Amino acid sequence: MKEVMLAFLGSYCPAILFNIERKNLVWAGLCGAAGWTAYKLVIDLSGSGIFAVFIAALVISFLSEFMAKIFKTPATVFYIPSLFPIVPGISAYYTVLNIINGKITEAAYVGLETVASAGAIAFGILVMTTIFKYINTRAMYKKGQ
Amino acid sequence: MVIKMEVKEVLNIALLSGEILLTSGSEIYRVEDTIERICSVYGIKCESFVTPTGIFISGLAVNNPSESVSLIRRIRNRTINLHNIELINTFSRDLQNSTLSYDEAMKKLKSIEAGPYFSFARRLGAAGVTSFAYAILFKGSLFDGLLTGVIGMLIYSILEKMKNADISQYFRNFICSFTAGVMSVFIGSLISSLNVNSILVGSIMILVPGLAITNGIRDALHGDILSSQARIAEALLIVTTIGVGVGAALLLMKYWM
Repeated sequence: MKEVMLAFLGSYCPAILFNIERKNLVWAGLCGAAGWTAYKLVIDLSGSGIFAVFIAALVISFLSEFMAKIFKTPATVFYIPSLFPIVPGISAYYTVLNIINGKITEAAYVGLETVASAGAIAFGILVMTTIFKYINTRAMYKKGQ
Repeated sequence: MVIKMEVKEVLNIALLSGEILLTSGSEIYRVEDTIERICSVYGIKCESFVTPTGIFISGLAVNNPSESVSLIRRIRNRTINLHNIELINTFSRDLQNSTLSYDEAMKKLKSIEAGPYFSFARRLGAAGVTSFAYAILFKGSLFDGLLTGVIGMLIYSILEKMKNADISQYFRNFICSFTAGVMSVFIGSLISSLNVNSILVGSIMILVPGLAITNGIRDALHGDILSSQARIAEALLIVTTIGVGVGAALLLMKYWM
């Protein structure tokens, strides 16, 4: 619970730095908190960090696109702050730390994990955006008829 | 009611909207979409080509093919201001319902450009709380978090100072992550119970290039290969500069301590 609160803060505050509409701040924060909750749940169930990141990215993009539809704002507004908690910052840091300490094997291992998490985030966004794009074009096509 | 307008004037409106979008950190497809939507409202056929560093538009009056205008705008500075993207989005949507005259539209765009921004104090506070939250999230104690918040605020104010002095983004990130590294290790050596790792990671979280990564992916998805590659390369460069900054700080402190 404490972590979810922190994840909320961790999305709410970057959103202020990116200057988003005030009434959307809370939603961006909630989106980030939901992403972190999904991440934690999946990591407890499956034990795979990269899979958890992927699921979290899916949840975040779903919520962002969904809110963008409701509030009629660009989805980017929610995406960027709410991805903050699951960005692999800590493993990127350990990569650098291991390189500094001359532990190249560990550095390569953690580095690969960092790249894989980043890839998982990218793929999560990609899947969800494609689905929403498909729904949108379908809706427009139907309207046109 | 459609207001008659010169092609050049319409393109000026479209160009300014596109410019605001692009400098605020929008995706490419949104810029092109907005430009085309604005032109079509005034009955002008247009073709636009947008990259992260420039906008090219050429417009053609549908009823008078001899009247054609091309405009190019070079984009040099890019910041992150998601509020402007929202405002331009509503502006171009509203335009479809009620067309504005040239002066009205320009006035509105200018007011968006000079739009509200959170005050420096609030942004500083937000930077502090961001660092605080991430330090604790990455297994730091409450005390670690508070110290990280202070470092985060310091780094953010350095970042803003350098932004105002027009220092390149990469050098900015290097200096900030270097400062974060030196300060965290230094504080950690003074008070041995601290978790230096979480302090360091928490304080550099505000430098993460989230926008470049997200936009890189979204641009790729819409087929804007050029800008997607540019943005992913930008993100990698930023990550590298942060890594080099932290690495340099850690090395320095390792030999100095």
